[in-house]
Amino acid sequence: MAIFILKRIGLALITLWILSVIVFLAGQVLPGDPGRFVLGPLAAPSAVHALDHTFGTDRSVPTQYWSWISHFVQGDMGKSYTYQSAVAPIVIKALGYSLKLALFVFVIVVPLGIAGGVWAALAAGKPRDRIISVIGASSTVIPELVSGIILIVVFGIALNVLPISATAPPGAGLPTQLYHLILPAIPLVLILFGYIMQMARAGTIEALNSDYARTAILKGLPRRTVIWRHILRNSLLPTITVVATQVGYLIGGLVIVETLFHYQGVGSLIVTAATGRDFPMLEAGILVIGVVFMVATLVADILYSLLNPRIRYQAAE
Amino acid sequence: MSSNSRKLDEIRAGRSELENHYIDELVGGRISRRQFVRKGAVIGMSSSLIGVILSACGGANSSSSASSTGSATSAASGTPKQGGTLRLAQQAPAAAINPLTIADAGGLNMLAQTGEFLVFDNNLLLKLQPMLATSWTPSASGAVWTFKLRPNVKFHNGQAMTAKDVVYTFKQLSDPKLASNALSAFTGVLTPAGVTMVDSMTVAFHLEAPNGNFPYLVSSDNYNAIIVPDGTDFGKWQSTFIGTGPFTLKSYTQNVGATFLANPNHWAGKPYLDGSAFTFYTSQPPQILALQGSQVDGIVQFTAQGAQSLLNSSTYNVIKLKSANHRELSMRNDQAPFTDARVRQAVALSFGRPEMITALLLGAGQLGNDSPFGPRFPSTDTTVPQRVQDLTKAKQLLTAAGHPHGFSAPLVTEQYEEILALAQVMKADLAKVGITANLKVETQTQYYGKDTYGNSDWLDSTMSLVDYGDRGAPNVYLESPLTSNGTWNAAHFKNKTYDNLVKQYVAALDLATQKQLAGKIETLLLAETPIVVPYFVDGLTATTQRVHGVNPTAISAIYLNKAYMS
Repeated sequence: MAIFILKRIGLALITLWILSVIVFLAGQVLPGDPGRFVLGPLAAPSAVHALDHTFGTDRSVPTQYWSWISHFVQGDMGKSYTYQSAVAPIVIKALGYSLKLALFVFVIVVPLGIAGGVWAALAAGKPRDRIISVIGASSTVIPELVSGIILIVVFGIALNVLPISATAPPGAGLPTQLYHLILPAIPLVLILFGYIMQMARAGTIEALNSDYARTAILKGLPRRTVIWRHILRNSLLPTITVVATQVGYLIGGLVIVETLFHYQGVGSLIVTAATGRDFPMLEAGILVIGVVFMVATLVADILYSLLNPRIRYQAAE
Repeated sequence: MSSNSRKLDEIRAGRSELENHYIDELVGGRISRRQFVRKGAVIGMSSSLIGVILSACGGANSSSSASSTGSATSAASGTPKQGGTLRLAQQAPAAAINPLTIADAGGLNMLAQTGEFLVFDNNLLLKLQPMLATSWTPSASGAVWTFKLRPNVKFHNGQAMTAKDVVYTFKQLSDPKLASNALSAFTGVLTPAGVTMVDSMTVAFHLEAPNGNFPYLVSSDNYNAIIVPDGTDFGKWQSTFIGTGPFTLKSYTQNVGATFLANPNHWAGKPYLDGSAFTFYTSQPPQILALQGSQVDGIVQFTAQGAQSLLNSSTYNVIKLKSANHRELSMRNDQAPFTDARVRQAVALSFGRPEMITALLLGAGQLGNDSPFGPRFPSTDTTVPQRVQDLTKAKQLLTAAGHPHGFSAPLVTEQYEEILALAQVMKADLAKVGITANLKVETQTQYYGKDTYGNSDWLDSTMSLVDYGDRGAPNVYLESPLTSNGTWNAAHFKNKTYDNLVKQYVAALDLATQKQLAGKIETLLLAETPIVVPYFVDGLTATTQRVHGVNPTAISAIYLNKAYMS
């Protein structure tokens, strides 16, 4: 198991390095330069040159990359071109925001999705299954923008019962912070519920039709024991994969929700950095998402192997 | 009346030639009382002096009239109440809060919270007011301007403000070797060598050429020009926000927001508010929602499109400011078919301007007359006839120019505010006279390119539609985009008569001459039509009914020194 994890970490590091090169090269293709972005389209060219020189973006591409990566591996994420202050505190703060929202969403949607999927599967083909499946399929296709605006208009403005801003006032306690996250979490719960529910449902149906389930039922085990000990364990395997792959989306892909509900997560940070060609900020943001994504898949793989002895034994060999 | 004229004579005895000229203009009825107030302020007459002159000329002092601000203003009503923190939504600053480099709406409003200028361009009253300078006077030619500084002004660190600080500030801002955004205003006007200290409380600016509107360049209109202590490291300014203003920095977090506390040691006394809290947004809709959901008390600046709910509601105070913010359609005067002035006129005649203002700005705009002179500037000659839509005449002109069936030409523009919609309306209007405009819409980065001829779709395209932000004086609009050697001359317009008129206008110190020259420039531009200016966009600020006394500007700064909440 330890070798398996070490191997995975090694691979992750190589992937992250390749990612950093790709982001850097992609950044070079973007039009415009940081000095021009800061000073605006009508600034004097001499002023733009002077600013680019202070940023160091007038140096050659390899020099810029080397200067950045050599500091990065020593734990120095560098200084943001546009904000002229250290990248690390900004990215860490944004990551904290993103993680909080992602965790809140998972805590709601994972149990909900699994319960819904299993409950639907136990009545496969019957009206209950149909209703849950249709709800799941429909909620997944509602764009965050649409559901978000409807929620804001209904609960934030007309009824005025929930705060529109996802950011709690400074110094607010955890309950207040979560209270502010209710509205932004709903569009995400709607989107993810369908995925997770479908996977849990399919897994459960497959498990129900399996030989071991039939044997368990035939040998006279109570239905409850069959479901909890034999079915659920097997049906959850694909669900874990789905959940793990959604982590990246929840951390870095929430630009619309973050904009709409005024939340300073990593998603909007990256978009702003890309627009302003703020290379140190862009690299840091994307690498942070990369790390989170890889940790999530690693945890999913470990969980998978814990739930599935076949993989565990393969890894041990 | 005889006592009044005696009083006037007494005043005249101590005034300069230029000031006496304005008094003559007022007495002779050649300028209105409001124009006298505005112009008097530019040449440095104090409010009290202006008041005395106006009263000597009969009638009450009308200088405090704010009727020019449009429908609603949040001008103070009743007794101001002490205390409270005003919460405002604004566009997130795009970059570091560095007084030298700030160039965006979000950032410049941060400077305006703790910083102050020599002169304040009060957009509600459309006139200049003393801020850190108490008076200013031009030399006879207008090439040297001398500013007397306000005594007993302290920076937030307790240090007294003197001429040394002012000289340092302007030497940095006008230094072509530094990344100064103010260079776009100072290039060709002021160099570091021209900034000199006369005594500890007097500063003189020796200009490269006479400039009648120079006070605007050291006013809040030139938003980089907040006075900072001598020796300030501009790159580190964002950790202190040190200035002389009515508020001091409490906290600033990139992308999130900023909070400020009332400055008890401000030269004008402590402001009514205990503090202010600005929340940063990256787009407009969440700001409107936040106001409607009572998360903020106001929005610093918004655009009409998408804000129907604010403009049509009586729940909010909407402050409308006449601004010089405009859209400019340039036609390459050196490229067929626009080499013929008749073709350019036909284009201008095809546009239904009032309809554009209604549809695109929801009424929050002023008619443009194909020159940068708009209602914002006192020197605009309003007697020049307004161009109106005339499709028949446009078709006649096209036929006379050899295009009876019209022609097709590319029209390149940028994604910005309502401009895409404007380009579509223009395309539809042009189709009515047989002209096919092939629209190409680009991001701002693509559109502006490298900002130089040959490297910029903005400057190189046959037809190009661009935005120009608000400025207190029309000088930059008259020079860069239209003079023969202008750096942003997208129309590639070259006209010696025009160049001369602009040179004279820039140098003119008195309003009558400025107005006379403005009339000539307006008439020339109508005849030549190198550009079309369909409208000027009003500056819009919204607050709840509880908020009073806020003073916004059309460049999206908001001054809270007299603001309070009921």
